[in-house]
Amino acid sequence: MNSRFCTRAARGRTKRDAGGFSLSEVMISSLIFSAIAMGLLMAFTALEHNYAATSDFALNHADQMRISDYLALDLRRALSVQAARNDTSIYIPNYYDANGNPQTPVLDQNGGVYYGALGSSVKVHYYLSAGTIYRQKDNATPTALATNVQDFIFDVTDAGKVVSTKITFNPTFRSSGPAAGDPNAATAFYNTTLLRNKRTDNQIGVY
Amino acid sequence: MRTRGSKAQGSVLLWTVVTIAILSLLGAEVLRLVAIKYGHALQTATWQEALLGAESGIDLAIMELRKSLFPAPNHAWDGWNNIPGNGVTSYGLTTIPNAGLAGTPMTIEVNVDAPAALIDSNGWQYYRIRTVGTMPITGPARVTDNKQDTRLRKLSLRWERFTNGVLTQHAISAPQVSRRAEAIVRPVSAFGQAIMSRGPLDLTNQNIVVDSYDSRDSTKSTNGLYDPAKRQQNGNIATNGNLVAAGNAYIYGDVSTNAGTVSGAANITGFQRTDFYQDLMIIQAPSWPSVNASPATVTQTTTINASATKNSAASRYILNQISLSGSNTLTIAGAANGSPTYVDIYVSGNISVSGSSQIQINPGVTATIYFKGNVTIAGNGMVNSNNQPGDLRLYGIPPTGDPDQTGDWQGDYSGTGASQVVSLGGNGQISASLYAPSADVTINGGGTSGHVFGSVVGKSVKMTGVTNLHYDEALASSGLIGNYKIVSWFEDNRDSRSH
Repeated sequence: MNSRFCTRAARGRTKRDAGGFSLSEVMISSLIFSAIAMGLLMAFTALEHNYAATSDFALNHADQMRISDYLALDLRRALSVQAARNDTSIYIPNYYDANGNPQTPVLDQNGGVYYGALGSSVKVHYYLSAGTIYRQKDNATPTALATNVQDFIFDVTDAGKVVSTKITFNPTFRSSGPAAGDPNAATAFYNTTLLRNKRTDNQIGVY
Repeated sequence: MRTRGSKAQGSVLLWTVVTIAILSLLGAEVLRLVAIKYGHALQTATWQEALLGAESGIDLAIMELRKSLFPAPNHAWDGWNNIPGNGVTSYGLTTIPNAGLAGTPMTIEVNVDAPAALIDSNGWQYYRIRTVGTMPITGPARVTDNKQDTRLRKLSLRWERFTNGVLTQHAISAPQVSRRAEAIVRPVSAFGQAIMSRGPLDLTNQNIVVDSYDSRDSTKSTNGLYDPAKRQQNGNIATNGNLVAAGNAYIYGDVSTNAGTVSGAANITGFQRTDFYQDLMIIQAPSWPSVNASPATVTQTTTINASATKNSAASRYILNQISLSGSNTLTIAGAANGSPTYVDIYVSGNISVSGSSQIQINPGVTATIYFKGNVTIAGNGMVNSNNQPGDLRLYGIPPTGDPDQTGDWQGDYSGTGASQVVSLGGNGQISASLYAPSADVTINGGGTSGHVFGSVVGKSVKMTGVTNLHYDEALASSGLIGNYKIVSWFEDNRDSRSH
């Protein structure tokens, strides 16, 4: 009895194995697979967005640093400053001759020092145009300091002896919570530069 | 059963390997990005530090220039290859240990020269300081992914980018970054302030007015004299100490202390600063090769003749004292027509004027008086006929040489030296510039008007009975050089390939 029964039962299982999974098994397994696949897809999509946003932030931050350092470089040696949002001109000594070599400094009647012709200077113009921030010396070909930065804003605040710069951009990551403030403000990159030279556009000396 | 179990284990292993691979790729990419950004941040920080090095080089050069103002031995330019001047360029190389960045030292190269084009109308030599600060880059020699960063920071990764014949070439054995600056410094007169003291400064006796004018500029003076309608706001007062008792004086200028306080500051128009310190130069007794033989002392009515030739033996006198009383007068006579003449007088003892006596400086005479003793001017005072404080300069010599007794002149006036007493007053109007950093100075009266014209430097300064002190800004460009300051600064960021 037992032996026969076992044999029949074993035959029955073999027959079911050969017939595949039941509908319920397939549906449940499909559901699980779909859920896992969906989760993975969402995870990878989020990861991709995260990666893109982080890269964007890192690139923008590098652009901010570069623009800020360029501005500080010229502000430190500035003779005068015309500050405006996304359009700032800095006048620096006419230090180089036509060949790019340093000129010999000369004294004026009041003991001031100048390079080149008396009263001359070099205009360095920073401006945002068509999504690119440029630096242009006099009428030379502008140099692109940062591209794809149409969302950048650089503000230059002229306080006389010191000039402050603030550069912001529109970040990809944004908080949607009730406490979310101006997302651009959170990206602000500040720099304050002490002007080394006595300014020619106002009579505030540094030393 | 064994077969199905093996298949399941194989699937798990496959999924695990795939997952680990994906996560590893993600991790590697993140690590790559972070490493790039870290390297970029490190290079940027190093570039910023290189500027600190370059500017430190300017400070080092100014420090040597300041040392050179002291009497020998002043140890100026010790360790440098030359003393700058007359076409000679001085070169100094300094390395500064660095606790961070793997202990790599900062290197500062400094060149100082004195171009002939930088001598002003007073004959004062300006100096040009060129300096390069260099910092090693401790990360890998890899450029950033944005070429504008490279254009800006000019990192020397494989080759030296600062070899344009300006300074000594570097042998580049490791990545580094350099920044180069040029500063022009000019001499500053010891009379750069209306009032300056090493210690307390007391203006509490009167509601004094301190302002300025410029005798060289007709918009800031009238006929070279003070005009209240053309008052300027450069009547600055300062102390190396920590107390200015302004007594609600009307000070048309800045008030500076060395981390001190200003009392009675209600009427100060300029800034109040607490970061002031200026080393005061010591004046040695003149060592003239030849002088007028007489007089050797002045106790009676006497005439001393100035000379048309500046710094000549005929213009120089050495007296052991000036002591006038009764109605005696010391007249310093010049040319009859008032044309410029000069006199230098060294008084090794005291100067005193009392009773109705006076010291009279005639028109056209520019007088410089050195004194080693005390000075008490009362009676009819010291009358400067030119009414130009730049034409009567009084220089106090420390009563004992080398006040801090350390064998040189560095760090003197630290409080250990003997003190002098200078009291300027009398009925005559005071028009003079006084430099006596070892003296307790009291300015009394200023004549019947109470007005004093000029500049005062002392160990301590007290105004008594003075109602007005008018500082002539022209004093800042003549007389004793007391300091150097930067008048032009430029960071030279070209390199040998792109300007």
